[in-house]
Amino acid sequence: MEDNILDVRNLNISFSNYGKTSKVLRGVSINVSRGERVSLIGQSGSGKTVTMRAIIGTLPTPPAIIESGEILYENQNLLALSRLERNKIKGSGISIILQDPLLSFNPVLTILRQMEDIVKYSDVRIGISRGHEERKKLITETLRKVQLSDHERLLNSYPIMLSGGMRQRVLIGMSLLNNPKLLIADEPGTALDVTTQKEILDLLNSLVKDEGLSLLFITHNLGVVREMADRIYVMQNGEIVETNSRENIFKKPEHQYTIKLMESVPPLFGDKVTDVKNTNSEVDGIISVSNLSKSFPIRTGFFNRITSQNHAVKSVNLVINSGDIYGLAGESGSGKTTIAKILLGLYGATSGTIKIDKLNLDEQVELKSYRKLIQIVYQNPGSSLNRKRTVAQILSVPLKFSGYSNEMIKDRVSELLQMVDLPVSYSAMYPHELSGGQKQRVAIARALSLEPKILVLDEPTSALDVLIQGTVINLLHRLKKQLGLTYIFISHDLSLMRNFCNKIAIMFKGEICEAGNTKDIFSNPQHLYTKALISSIPVISDKEENLKPKVTYEERSAVLQNTRKI
Amino acid sequence: MNHPLGTNISGEDDMGQHRSLTSSQMAWFRFRSNPSSIIGAFIVFSVIFVAIFAPLIAPSPQSAGSFVDFMNRHSPPSRDFWFGTDNVGRDIFTRVVFGYRVSLGLVVGVLGFAVPFGVFLGLLAGYFGNWTEFVIMRFTDIMLAIPPLAMALAITAVLSPNLINAMIAITMLWWTWHTRLIYRIVKAQMNEDYVEAARVAGASHFHIMFRELLPNCISAISVKISLDAGFVILFGAALSFLGLGVQPPTPDLGTMVSTGSEYLPEYWWEALMPGLAILYAILGFNLLGDGLRDMMDVEV
Repeated sequence: MEDNILDVRNLNISFSNYGKTSKVLRGVSINVSRGERVSLIGQSGSGKTVTMRAIIGTLPTPPAIIESGEILYENQNLLALSRLERNKIKGSGISIILQDPLLSFNPVLTILRQMEDIVKYSDVRIGISRGHEERKKLITETLRKVQLSDHERLLNSYPIMLSGGMRQRVLIGMSLLNNPKLLIADEPGTALDVTTQKEILDLLNSLVKDEGLSLLFITHNLGVVREMADRIYVMQNGEIVETNSRENIFKKPEHQYTIKLMESVPPLFGDKVTDVKNTNSEVDGIISVSNLSKSFPIRTGFFNRITSQNHAVKSVNLVINSGDIYGLAGESGSGKTTIAKILLGLYGATSGTIKIDKLNLDEQVELKSYRKLIQIVYQNPGSSLNRKRTVAQILSVPLKFSGYSNEMIKDRVSELLQMVDLPVSYSAMYPHELSGGQKQRVAIARALSLEPKILVLDEPTSALDVLIQGTVINLLHRLKKQLGLTYIFISHDLSLMRNFCNKIAIMFKGEICEAGNTKDIFSNPQHLYTKALISSIPVISDKEENLKPKVTYEERSAVLQNTRKI
Repeated sequence: MNHPLGTNISGEDDMGQHRSLTSSQMAWFRFRSNPSSIIGAFIVFSVIFVAIFAPLIAPSPQSAGSFVDFMNRHSPPSRDFWFGTDNVGRDIFTRVVFGYRVSLGLVVGVLGFAVPFGVFLGLLAGYFGNWTEFVIMRFTDIMLAIPPLAMALAITAVLSPNLINAMIAITMLWWTWHTRLIYRIVKAQMNEDYVEAARVAGASHFHIMFRELLPNCISAISVKISLDAGFVILFGAALSFLGLGVQPPTPDLGTMVSTGSEYLPEYWWEALMPGLAILYAILGFNLLGDGLRDMMDVEV
């Protein structure tokens, strides 16, 4: 096709590491037409980022070896160009938006300096010269394009002073500085809250339309793809397994892998949604929290004196019955994790009372009996499991400190491994020898070792790939039934919570703004914030899209963080 | 119950084994692919070997003591005297071989006390934070602010100059580096969830410090030790050179350089050969340390 702005043909790339060569890309062909939005979707490790880096020319060689194939940009083979010629295309031809808005900035330089540098060096490459004023004019114009205001203040700020959404906006602005024709976006917004992500995606869409750009969008999220692509490539283990227009992929996916991906996305509305009910009808209030507040002192100044208080949790009331799967939803910084840590006795509350299984947390409960009551599973098993200790050693810690003998510990460890569907032989392995899902199973086993009644699940699946999420969720359901557990499920993934929790509380700025049965909250959200939150979730069908609550821009901005102005 | 979210998902992704290489194999590969680390390991082992079997290797073991052979004084390197002889006719090669014993003894003595002490304080400071951290780290800073040679001079001047006192002087300075290193690592590790997870599991402070945190410091400690070994040898030789360390007739590399330097430049081998011996050992330890650092991927 003549009109292809980017045409990757039969690209084969392998990596040579530790004396072994492994093939990473197998005959990948992707083309993007002028003005088209193309998405590349796949799980982590499928080769999306390697493809992206091969296109922009930042693939480290060695260890990478480009075995065959060509990358045509406007009918020029990029792989055949010299380094100098290739650099001319960077920024002005192909530009990139990276995933992490904080890591992509230099923390010690102002935004102005960083943006100006981009213009300066690309001017050198192209061979034109512009003065400071001219450059600044260009930067201000670009900031207007990404809907940022208060330019003077923004340009003189350092990256740390901006919110995540603003950083991502500035990052998009940076990629637009030299009027590129093709924009490559590597999971933009993934590190942000769902509401902010929504704004970023809307911005990208409008930019592509207004500026006539072509977009290659790399992501793992099917819901995002539905909003961002005209055509989709599905990638698995370095191969393109399916490609089709968006409508066709979502209507009738053909490849087994695409179908699996589709099914692993939890539905938000419709018949596929599961309503979870508490089989235990007893209303016993195993956890009752009343008027809980927690504030952290902020210390500043030369003498490190307390200058103000950060109110992380403000007069929260919660009643959780045994057998509940109680969801605590909210964006980062809303106070979910603080509540969990107070319940675990890791932080003391500033005020309020907490009763767990009739024990009052304030009255110096004996720690050992308390540990047997409530335990936690952390978000990232890579961090919550000590790399230098074997699975057996990890699992034995809680047992050792509650008086188990060595014999009993050994038996209990194998019992626990069986409980989470892991072979007993894994007890001698170190965490890095296990996959992400297996590690999380070990973490669950550790939490269960003292037979607690309550388990706090702090985003237990968010560090896992979507296909593995399902198996862990299944395991949690089985364990709950088997052991009669009560779960407190902390997450920002509302579509997952819709299908996993029977009750849900939405947290907003340290307060619970809405709580009740999951079904009722999703079908009829009352609080404006809940509405905005639900409406921001990317879904995978038009039917679900239409069932989302409608929120206008003005309503959104009333409750959400402003990402356009400092 | 099979929950809808989990249907149609084969166990392959979750339970599949894709371990091609273990981490120790990878580490060994990194070590092996770096020729300088292999050379370093070879040098270090040769030094240790020579030190252990000194009486068997040395051509004239009597030269290690207060032996005098005026017939052969100041003879240049030859087939009989590989490194030549010194001002009283002792075989310099023999004395170098025995000198390694003294040097390695110094390394073991100094690091044997300084490392555990420094690591322990670093763990305490990093783990407890607050006042413990303040007291320990400020004390460390004060010790670091004292010029090492001045400190060693003061100690050996008050006590008598001999090997043990030199060891004490070096030890008193050396632990600070380990404290700082471990403190920094522990501080970073404290942000990891496993520390809190251990606390939630009811683990004691002792358990968290020595069973959870310490294993994460081991690779950094071993790299630091191998780099340190070279510097301790150098520092010990410097003290001996100044006459504050090992006293004659005990063969010490620093003392030998010092005595030999009086006869420069005519009898050049008397200072050069022990000097090269010091260089050889330090080079070995540094190359090994660098290799270990690349292999274990730690920053020291």
